[in-house]
Amino acid sequence: MEFEAVIGLEIHIELNCPTKLFCDCPNRPGDEPNRNTCPTCLWFPGAIPRLSQAALEKAALLCLGLGAEIQPRNAFDQKVYYYPDLPKGYQLSQAHLPLARGGGIEITDENGKLKRARIHHVHMEEDVARLVHEIEGRTPISLVDFNRAGVPLVEIVTEPDFSTPHEAIEFLKALRAQVRYVGSSECSMENGTMRVDANISVRPRGASEMNTKVEVKNMNSIRHVGDAIAHEIGRQSASVQAGEAVTLHTRLWDPDKKVTLPMRAKFEGPCIPDPTVPTIELSREWIDDMRSRLPEMPATRAARFVAQYGLSGEEAAFLSSDPDTAGFFEALTAEGIAPRMAMHWLATQLLPAIKERRQELHNAPVTPGRFAALLRMLSQDQINANAAREVLLRLFDGDQPPAAIVDACGFRQVSDPEALGALIDKVVDAEAAAVADLRNGQGKAMGFLIGRVMQASGGKANPKIVRELLGKKLEAIL
Amino acid sequence: MDSPFFYRNPAAPAAPSGPLAGSKIAVQPNLSVAGWPADAGSNALADFKALEDATIVKRLRQAGASLCGATRMSEFGFGLRGSRAGEAIRSQAADAELVLDLMGESRLAAIRAAVCGFKPSYGLVSRLGLIGLIPSMESCGLLAETPATIRELLKAVAGQDCLDFSMPDDEPLDLAPQDIDPPKTTIGVVAEAQSGLTAEQEALFRSSLDQLKQAGFSLLEMSLPEFSLFSLVHRIVGSVEASSSAGRYDSVRYGPRAAGAKNWNEMYLLSRAAAFGPLLKSYLLQGALFQFERYEAYENACRIRARLLRQMQRLASRADCLVFPAVDGAAGGGPPLLADTYGQFAWTLFANVTGQPALYLPPPPDAAHAGLQLAGARLSDGRLLALGEHLVNLHPRGK
Ligand SMILES: [Zn+2]
Repeated sequence: MEFEAVIGLEIHIELNCPTKLFCDCPNRPGDEPNRNTCPTCLWFPGAIPRLSQAALEKAALLCLGLGAEIQPRNAFDQKVYYYPDLPKGYQLSQAHLPLARGGGIEITDENGKLKRARIHHVHMEEDVARLVHEIEGRTPISLVDFNRAGVPLVEIVTEPDFSTPHEAIEFLKALRAQVRYVGSSECSMENGTMRVDANISVRPRGASEMNTKVEVKNMNSIRHVGDAIAHEIGRQSASVQAGEAVTLHTRLWDPDKKVTLPMRAKFEGPCIPDPTVPTIELSREWIDDMRSRLPEMPATRAARFVAQYGLSGEEAAFLSSDPDTAGFFEALTAEGIAPRMAMHWLATQLLPAIKERRQELHNAPVTPGRFAALLRMLSQDQINANAAREVLLRLFDGDQPPAAIVDACGFRQVSDPEALGALIDKVVDAEAAAVADLRNGQGKAMGFLIGRVMQASGGKANPKIVRELLGKKLEAIL
Repeated sequence: MDSPFFYRNPAAPAAPSGPLAGSKIAVQPNLSVAGWPADAGSNALADFKALEDATIVKRLRQAGASLCGATRMSEFGFGLRGSRAGEAIRSQAADAELVLDLMGESRLAAIRAAVCGFKPSYGLVSRLGLIGLIPSMESCGLLAETPATIRELLKAVAGQDCLDFSMPDDEPLDLAPQDIDPPKTTIGVVAEAQSGLTAEQEALFRSSLDQLKQAGFSLLEMSLPEFSLFSLVHRIVGSVEASSSAGRYDSVRYGPRAAGAKNWNEMYLLSRAAAFGPLLKSYLLQGALFQFERYEAYENACRIRARLLRQMQRLASRADCLVFPAVDGAAGGGPPLLADTYGQFAWTLFANVTGQPALYLPPPPDAAHAGLQLAGARLSDGRLLALGEHLVNLHPRGK
């Protein structure tokens, strides 16, 4: 029997606002444990949650960026469960009246076909504390760090619109790009600012009813999400094939063994409306104001890049997938750098160099201004590409202008025909054998001769002029 | 007899200044006073000391009042078992007491102590620092000898608190003294609110109404056929809210942890089981049952609550205030049962369901009639207290 998978995703995203969701503590979970706490986020008796306006705005922007419909009336509920990371016994979450409904993202399936993945709803909730397990002497102990307690989260729940790991991965990449665009979160699965649970079921291909689903958690990269889904499809297909029933439960992805393993279920029941956080009433004007704050989104920007700069669809999509990259690219073109050159050097040189140094484009020492100055020297033949690559690496070491580095390293290109002519004469005299090969029709020898001239110039000769002058010289003597 | 105080403030009263200068106020240990033990009458919070002052406490101090201590209270203020509310005033240890009102506790305590008891409108007084149990129904009640004292207290504590976002965006109340002109003042009497009274209680209530008539007020008979549903709605919505919200009082953090557990899960279960008393435990269990097994019943109760609120608003808009029996349906000495507790508060809990203000006035000394329970529309607190003042002044208590 052939099976097909039905996959839905639940994505938790940590918003990057300065404070927590219900108090004024800094939203910096990574600080020294329990530093960013107060009676409210420690959930002390008598404390009252106070909804952060900034968090509500970041969450609303995120929803609007995904095309979701903000609900004019939304509210928080108490999601009751007990676990040591939630000592107050309930989490404030929007179970009945979520912040937004609908929306979706266009993705391409394996065959390159466009497909819309729909969003069911987006709701806000508070994060819980972090448990740290240690050994004290010989006794295992668990410590609770409340820095993360009350950190603002949104949860995006999709429709079960995916049928392959590829589609889920495409969706997550596009989602990450969009959320970064609106500036609501960094969406790093590695750092935990984006967490993904996948609900997976299988059924005979072509069937319409849904089978029992299994929830898979604990993937900490987009690649792991793909791997975990692929494994789970295989596991479920095999057990259905063997006539076993799939039961509703939760499994954890083990990235080392590359398998999913069952976990003990947490007790969870229906939520009741929280009587203390007032219902959130959002006016049409407020929602419109939020919408007006939305930046140009990736798909729109990519289309504009194709039209305005003559880039290919793929190049435009690559550049616009990240707002910093797209912004950097446009800053280069504003400096007069040709779009293709800007695109090429950004993608193949600068971004890898930044990644290697674990830096971020927006605060790297290589600013658009400095990088443009470098590329300008290259396009004006003042340096060659090899030298440009060298200078780029040195731009990371200080704040000198590229021209100063070029001069200090003697990278300035020799384009003077007289000086180059003398070098060419010397090389042609010394390499009689290669000249003879050329005479016998072996074109490869041309490249060899150019290389010798470049070498003789200490790498500084302008290869274009060398090729031109060498051609003329050989024409004369052959 | 042992002291009604759970904790006495060791500090001498501060130099008096402000409208409440010189008055001594007793709170309950569910109101946060920085550094004071705040167990809210429960083992689950046995070791909890408040970190900050509640907004009410801050405002009382700013008005010049001194806090003399915290009186013994029932577990989380639910019912009056173990409560000594009212006794501090009786023994003149305090001029006023703050008493949590979940279903009428402040008014019933006032009946027992023969003082005035007032439950303010929901949302009029900040709940920041109040360790509550039923967030949508609880108010900090005020006990004092006279409505005038209550009015002064309310003036000091009422009004917007920028730290309590749960307070509705109400206009500030006018709590200045008001003149009452009895012939122009209509008092509504809800017929159905008298069902369930014993013959003796009914006779007492009738004589209270006669007193009002003699004082020149015009009484208006009214009907609220669903009055008996208040108790049911309170019981379902209140227990569900309590069960969900009380998760934070788990005894693991502030109370004794149960010994001998094999793992943390068992430790949690055993500690919670040991922390709560039998009455509260059955209330929380009942709430859990409705939340997890009978959710539709909870949803229906919420809907009926909204309907009752509308009906009560309509009645209140037809009169200057409403009068209800003031009955302490005292529970017997047997084991604490939920049914008994709800029976005890059958004539007071309506105001917690609707959020309207309610005032208990004790009868004059040696009077042949019972005290009165007056209630008004939400935020009519000033009017209600003025009426109370008028009635009390008709028969000044020779003190
Ligand atoms: Zn905090």
